[in-house]
Amino acid sequence: MDDRDRDRGGGFGDRDRDRGDRDRGDRDRGDRGGRETRRRRFVLPDKDIILDYKNPQLLKNFLTDRGKIVPARISGLSARQQRQLTKAIKRARMLALLPFTSN
Amino acid sequence: MAQELESGRIESVSSTIGTQREYETVTILRPETGKIDIAALIERMRTVFDDRSGRFLKIDSWGMRVLAFPVAGCRKGIYLYWRYLGGSDMVAEFERHMRLSDRVIRFYTVRIDDDVDPEGRPSEVTEELLNAVSEPGPDPEVLARQAAEAEAARRKALMEANAALDDDDDDDDDDLDRDRDRGRDREDDD
Repeated sequence: MDDRDRDRGGGFGDRDRDRGDRDRGDRDRGDRGGRETRRRRFVLPDKDIILDYKNPQLLKNFLTDRGKIVPARISGLSARQQRQLTKAIKRARMLALLPFTSN
Repeated sequence: MAQELESGRIESVSSTIGTQREYETVTILRPETGKIDIAALIERMRTVFDDRSGRFLKIDSWGMRVLAFPVAGCRKGIYLYWRYLGGSDMVAEFERHMRLSDRVIRFYTVRIDDDVDPEGRPSEVTEELLNAVSEPGPDPEVLARQAAEAEAARRKALMEANAALDDDDDDDDDDLDRDRDRGRDREDDD
């Protein structure tokens, strides 16, 4: 297997996949047919903080090592905050404040 | 409206009802851009705002930053943040000038507010502010290198100070008490 094959492997970096597996292992399972409860990975310093593209230092917390956006299921953000987050990260990427991808 | 048609300008709908939109634009300039070039660009844009009856509210310099990925062959860039009132024609004109400038490598405009009363939003732009934002700012890589050198020098000084305190024997000075308990006489070892 050459490097290219390895990179292609399902579109996930090894680290990302590791994290996903670990997460699946220790996820709480409630009584509602095995539906997962949320894992809060990042805690915002302030509940009302605005996720803005001009604050790349804050947004960096919500990127994986590979530069992918962390899903709400893991970040623990509300749906509205997650929408703000994706918009902010995509804008910050346009301005080269955050990477599209990083190895 | 007829006047606008004659002048060939396409104004936004909000400009006909007395309010304007508020926009912000972030531009990235080439890292080698000097103070004179930045000042010239700002000055040119000021006349554009005046001509188009927009209002130049604010400008801020984020200084030189290392880009997350190379843009137009540049690894670093000088960030400028602009804020202004106007219609969609204002944005079109602003971005046209950005494209014309060979200093600007990237720009991105975001609409902040749809309905702003221009009377309530005076411009914060002053000559001192323009002078301050024209500075390209220090190179982040040079700053990081200087910080690393200062840290290395501090560590070296600390190690030398510790070496001066060392008594040149093979004993581990931390074990002084334990050695004494074992009945070894340190003075003989020297």
